[in-house]
Amino acid sequence: MRLIWIHEDAMTLDHPVVVAAGDEAKPIFIWDTVRHDHLGYSLKRRMFIYESVLDLDIPIYAGDTYASLMELSAGQPIYAADTPDPYVQDMLRRLRETQEVFVIDAPAFVDIPEGTDTKRFFRFWNQAKASAMMTTEDIQANKTPSKDK
Amino acid sequence: MKQSDDSSIISSLAVKLIMRARYNDRKAVLEQVRMLSPGLDPHDQNMSELRGGMSAARTRLAALDASGYGATRNYLDGAVTQLSPFIRHGLIQLSDVRDKALADTPPQRAEKFIQQLAWRDYWQRLYRDAPEDIWNDVESYKTGFVAADYADALPEDIALGETGVACIDQFIGTLLTTGYLHNHARLYLAAYVCHWRRVKWQAGARWFLQHLLDGDPASNNLSWQWVASTFSHKPYFFNLENIEKYSGQSIDTAFKRNKPLAGSYDDIYTRLFPNLEPR
Repeated sequence: MRLIWIHEDAMTLDHPVVVAAGDEAKPIFIWDTVRHDHLGYSLKRRMFIYESVLDLDIPIYAGDTYASLMELSAGQPIYAADTPDPYVQDMLRRLRETQEVFVIDAPAFVDIPEGTDTKRFFRFWNQAKASAMMTTEDIQANKTPSKDK
Repeated sequence: MKQSDDSSIISSLAVKLIMRARYNDRKAVLEQVRMLSPGLDPHDQNMSELRGGMSAARTRLAALDASGYGATRNYLDGAVTQLSPFIRHGLIQLSDVRDKALADTPPQRAEKFIQQLAWRDYWQRLYRDAPEDIWNDVESYKTGFVAADYADALPEDIALGETGVACIDQFIGTLLTTGYLHNHARLYLAAYVCHWRRVKWQAGARWFLQHLLDGDPASNNLSWQWVASTFSHKPYFFNLENIEKYSGQSIDTAFKRNKPLAGSYDDIYTRLFPNLEPR
C-alpha cells in the first residue's frame, strides 16, 4: 500500500500530495521522540504538534522515523510533501535507495524568474511583489500558456 | 508489525499507537504527550493556550484582519494573527492565507500583511538554496567584534528570565509560558542576547526553537542573524524609549528597572560597539 508520510512541515490532508498519492494511499504520522529530544523541544511544542496530528485523525506510530517508514511502507511507494528541511530531505533520499519516493510541492506563493537575486529581502520582494499580490488561481492561470499562442 | 500499548515506544521498529487521546480532552492529550516523551524535562510544565489542529487553524484564518495587521503590527498589542505556528507546521499554506487576505481586503491595504507572508517564503527559499547557512554565520559580524568574542552558551539568567531587566524578563516569561512572542519582542530579546550580553546568535536561536510554537530553523535563525549583523549590513539594537513607544501598559518600562536599556541611540551604540566609529 502506498504511504503518505505526514511530516512536521506539512501536517495537513489538504495538500496536493494527498491527491497525487490517490485514494488508496494511507496517510501516517511518525512520533519520533528522540528527534524531539535532539531538537530540545519543550512541552508546549510537543503538545502543539501532537494536537495537530490528533486533529487529522490518522494513524500515529511512534519510533525512529527512518525505521518506521521502512517497516510501514514494506517497499511500496512513499509520498511526502516537499520541504527544504535537510532532515526530511535526507530521510527521503535514504528511502529512495530502496523504493519509489514521490515529493509533491504545495502551490507556489510567488512566481519569480529563476536566478532572482535573494541576497537581501527587498531585492527578492521587488521581483516577487507582482505575483505575491495575485491570488493563487491567477498565478497559476498566468503560468499556463495560452492556447492562442 | 509489533502492536503495543503506549509505554513501549522506544523501539527501533514502528510501533502503532493503539491508545489515542481525544483531541478535546486536553488533560489526556497532555498525559499522552508526556508518556510519549520520556526524554522531556519533568519540570517543564508550561502548556500554551494556543492549541494545535486544523480546526484551530481555520478559526484563526477566518478571523484574519489583514488591514488591521498592516496598521498596528509593530505594536506589541497590535492586531497580530498568530497564524504563524499553523503556517510553520504546514496546517495551512501561505497561498491560502494570501488568498483569504485578498478576498477580504483591498490589495493596497493587504500589502503590508502579504509582504510579511513573503518573508516566510523568502526564508524558505534561502533554506533550500543554502541549508548550511542556517546554523553558520552567513557573513562576519559588523559589530567590531569577531565570532570568538561571543559566548557559546546562553547564560542561565536569560534562560530562566531572571536577568533583572524588567521588560526583558517579561518577554522571556511570555516566551516560556505561551510559546509565542510578538515579532518586535523577538527582535528586542535577540538584540539583548547578542549585543548587550555578547552571546552567539546560535545559542539564542536554539533557545527560541525550543519554545516558539512557530519555531522554524530558516525564519528563526536568519532573523537572529539579521539582528546579530551576520546577515545584514549593521547590527539591530534598540533603546528603552523604543520599547515604550511600541508596548502597551502591560510591559514594565520603568527606568529604574531597565537601566541597561536606557539612553539615546548614539550612547547605546557607543556602549555596545566600542570598537566601531561613533555614529
